[in-house]
Amino acid sequence: MKRKRIIFSLVFMLIWTACACAPGLAAEGQTRLTVYEGPKTMASSPTASVSVNGYDLFVYDVMVNHEHIWNANTQPVTTPMTYFDFEGKANVKIQMPGLGKAVESAQVLPAAWGIVPQVEQGMVSFSITEPGQYTVVFNGSVNKALHIFANPLETDVPDPDDPDVFYIGPGEWVMDAIALQDNQTLYLSGGAVLHSIISVANASNVRICGRGMIDGSDYPAWNQPGSYARVPIDLNHSKNVTVEGISLVNSNCWNLNSYSCKNVTIDNVKIISGRQNGDGFTFQSCTDHTVTNSFARTWDDSLVLKNYSGSTKGITFKNIQVWTDLAQSMEIGYETDKGLTLDPEISDVLFEDITVLYNFHKPVISIHNSDDAFVHDIVYRNITVENAMMQGDNGFNKELIEMTLQNSSWSTVRDEFGSIDGVLIDGLTVVNTVNGKVPASRLSGQSEENRITNVTLRNVNILGKPITTLKEMKLSIDDYCENIVIE
Amino acid sequence: MNRICCLICALMLLAAPLGALGESAGEPETIVTIVRTPEQAQAERPPCFPDPADDYIPLPETENFALGKPVHSGAHTDVYVDKNVNDGKTDTYWESKGFPAEITFDLQGAFTVSTVAVCLNPSSIWEPRIQEIAVEISQDGENFIQVSPAGKYQFDAATGNRVRIDFEAVQACFVKVIFTLNSSSRTGGAQAAEICVY
Repeated sequence: MKRKRIIFSLVFMLIWTACACAPGLAAEGQTRLTVYEGPKTMASSPTASVSVNGYDLFVYDVMVNHEHIWNANTQPVTTPMTYFDFEGKANVKIQMPGLGKAVESAQVLPAAWGIVPQVEQGMVSFSITEPGQYTVVFNGSVNKALHIFANPLETDVPDPDDPDVFYIGPGEWVMDAIALQDNQTLYLSGGAVLHSIISVANASNVRICGRGMIDGSDYPAWNQPGSYARVPIDLNHSKNVTVEGISLVNSNCWNLNSYSCKNVTIDNVKIISGRQNGDGFTFQSCTDHTVTNSFARTWDDSLVLKNYSGSTKGITFKNIQVWTDLAQSMEIGYETDKGLTLDPEISDVLFEDITVLYNFHKPVISIHNSDDAFVHDIVYRNITVENAMMQGDNGFNKELIEMTLQNSSWSTVRDEFGSIDGVLIDGLTVVNTVNGKVPASRLSGQSEENRITNVTLRNVNILGKPITTLKEMKLSIDDYCENIVIE
Repeated sequence: MNRICCLICALMLLAAPLGALGESAGEPETIVTIVRTPEQAQAERPPCFPDPADDYIPLPETENFALGKPVHSGAHTDVYVDKNVNDGKTDTYWESKGFPAEITFDLQGAFTVSTVAVCLNPSSIWEPRIQEIAVEISQDGENFIQVSPAGKYQFDAATGNRVRIDFEAVQACFVKVIFTLNSSSRTGGAQAAEICVY
């Protein structure tokens, strides 16, 4: 009997141990963490040392750009970035040997999440319990701000033996381009750095997923002699496409492009760009696109909708963090009928739970109907601008909100104009501004026939003060605007 | 009993790779998975994409007389200038503005030539297309004679997105390649990443 009890106890211990160690079977209160080695061909950034729950992370240096005005020959700088997956509690510890000065203070963004880091002897530490994107700013400067992508644990990892799955494991990989076709999946493992581009053209039921990075640093900026645009993810006339979990860095042009596609779902995709025309999520003439839980730090428009060939309808951006080093944060336009199509529209667009960590250049919210489209039913809900630092170009385009019906250098249609109708901004909070004052906003129509109508602002708070009048909002409107209301 | 303990220990070792349980000072009790990367000396082609080069149309292994030599053409599209066409790189390319499109190489000397190869970027994102191409040669750069009449050539990534135009060996100081058609819907001009003269 005694012998049976011993055997039972040992077997119980074995089962308990196996359960405790097995991913997916953590006991309550335990943290599950996945960390990724960097490729053996690369060295972790000398700028930052980061650990989570005592485990060192590999830190990448990625291109960003502090030049907040267009320069065709701009030279990016780098900032550190790292990532891991977790569930539970993550204690993050950071040291910044490459900052060039001692860390005396730090701030974790989004500030609205209320994470107050400790700084002791140059070490920054804080805890998180929710997956998300965290940015740490040191000594009150954006220089060498650290981006930490704390992903949720992976689920639904594709089967590497599936003949329709291209499974790229950890390591550094290079390939000129990858063209995905119907029903194919590309999996890019965490710990993978892929120097390539992914094209999905005239295809359906395509999935791109994983935790790895697509890195465009091998390619010169697209506008330089001998180079060309190598779009990291380029969707073209495709449908039912999913992109999830990966990061796009160092692109030599724009980043996640979708042209004339339908039913595209993007989740937990992180973009950091610092080179010419480095737009983030950019969709042209698309329908039924949803972007959630994602991040875009960009050296051109961060979230952008245009019409290149046909109309745009049914686009949702939800729970997105944006850092705009150049151009606009949430841009509709300028091109709204580049394809000269019949009755072009941009409609049924929702920006919800958007946090703009920084905007250094042009308007945060903008509709530049620069061709002849009918832009309508556009909703901005719960928009938080933590740092509205718009410096504009030569004194222009530094508004918080701008909606216009004027031609621009991007116009294709020059003899006709469109209209803007039905815009709701419900919940707009601006925490800091460049000069401690309310930034101006501007609505400008074109003619009696081409007007901006039915724009409602509600629940606006700037610099801690509720804004209830157009005057307080510093919102200028011209004679071709009608029913512009602030509640 | 010893046998039982050994068995259980062995089973526990088998379970260990599933994850490691750790709690260092002040840190939460953590089940960690460390994803390791392979030993690599340089970036490699992902194994899930076998190199298609084995199926490429073979090119002569002799000297490419056009490489790096003076080249000129008519108008080009955007940034896709003619000097991209003999820089030795298939990830840069020349694109003409319309048709016919002529591009001429000064070989800087007299060479016996018998093959012109026209290459696009071998990537599969360059969809299959047909270009119509003729070849002329000259001794003085002014008076050209045709050595290969206009013919339609199929470019396909499966065979390297390259075509090979062979003709009777002839002495040449200048080689002109003339494009009169490109079936790609993405352009209205001729395209070539590399043009090689052997």
